[in-house]
Amino acid sequence: MDVSYLRQQSGVAAMTVIIGFEGSANKIGIGIIRDGEVLSNPRRTYITPPGQGFMPSDTARHHRAVILTVLKEALEEAGLKPADIDGVAYTKGPGMGAPLVTVALVARTVAQLWGKPLLGVNHCVGHIEMGRLITKANNPTVLYVSGGNTQVIAYSERRYRIFGETIDIAVGNCLDRFARVIKVKSKISNDPSPGYNIEQMAKKGTQYVELPYTVKGMDVSFSGILSYIEEAAHKMLSSDQCTAEDLCFSLQETVFSMLVEITERAMAHCGSQEVLIVGGVGCNLRLQEMMGVMCKERGAKLFATDERFCIDNGAMIAQAGWEMFRSGQVTKLEDSWITQRYRTDEVEVTWRD
Amino acid sequence: MAAVDAETNHETGKLEFSLDVPFPSPREALIALRSLSPDREPRKGGISKELSVSDSTLSVRWSADEARILRVSVNSFLDHLSLVVETMEMFDSSASQ
Repeated sequence: MDVSYLRQQSGVAAMTVIIGFEGSANKIGIGIIRDGEVLSNPRRTYITPPGQGFMPSDTARHHRAVILTVLKEALEEAGLKPADIDGVAYTKGPGMGAPLVTVALVARTVAQLWGKPLLGVNHCVGHIEMGRLITKANNPTVLYVSGGNTQVIAYSERRYRIFGETIDIAVGNCLDRFARVIKVKSKISNDPSPGYNIEQMAKKGTQYVELPYTVKGMDVSFSGILSYIEEAAHKMLSSDQCTAEDLCFSLQETVFSMLVEITERAMAHCGSQEVLIVGGVGCNLRLQEMMGVMCKERGAKLFATDERFCIDNGAMIAQAGWEMFRSGQVTKLEDSWITQRYRTDEVEVTWRD
Repeated sequence: MAAVDAETNHETGKLEFSLDVPFPSPREALIALRSLSPDREPRKGGISKELSVSDSTLSVRWSADEARILRVSVNSFLDHLSLVVETMEMFDSSASQ
């Protein structure tokens, strides 16, 4: 058994190095963290042609083709050998099955080759812990927004509790799918992401097109807005009633207002004075700006990160794995199966008071 | 169809398929077994897969209701197997020392 692992077990303070593998959607990332310091965090994105989403089997094929190169990069950039690593963290779920399996296979294999314990991480918890590490937010209300997830989360008694969430599709999925249907001169590119390109187009929008506003208590719904704007887009663009830029602007203003509203309600409920935005949509500057206005009005602080850590990456899985490892939570090989559904509140947060 | 019938186990009426994968040593065969075993088949029924190791050989035995389901499972297993083997070739620190 590895020496540094035994040192940890005996309770003597030592630096802990964790490698994290992430590949639950169209990014494959491997990051190495040593006690809060990101040593390396290379990533590749599977970018599909304009107008197309990413399918599980194609995405898994992409990840298989590059994962070992990314692993080599992660070790070389960190300047580490396998013997320097204390634990191997990987995304157990939630996410797309085939890409998750691909990444788990490599994590399991290197964990055995190097004789290190495995750490099965909940992807959402990875985002939260990375956000806390980078921003130093202490006990924030978390808005987790991405292509697959939309949740308002607050910590209480060893769980990240979900206060509000989408009842149908994720906000990022709504933006991605809107990008696929609107055609201006050409379709919106998926490079670097459809959401980023919508954000740039929205800056040139001048006219607000009214859309359904669908907050249901603490929850939100986006599928109706998507259907509505898809139909409106065909009609209004062909008759020059508005521009594609106007629609991008209107969609962002509407869905982000909804997210700010439920975040504010969760803060009021918890008496929280901090907001942390995580997930891929979290690097949208307009969302950060709108959330910032609400925080200022309440005398609260807003925390957000940039695309390196907001968007899926390996370091976030390493960071959550680091917390699990330090609190003695490891995953046995036979329990290391991946799961497409894995709620944030299923994880016992053994590393917080 | 004749070939498929030939592979059918007459007692259970199921299609069976078996695969033997040789490894350099029992250590690699066991690592592959433990890496490939944890995930369940994605579909609920119609197929089962048993993995075992004897010496340096990893053996897999499938039993399926339909050829179509069997093909999907065998295909994805072979993709997974090649990834595990490639990982071992590139990152076995004990072998390179």
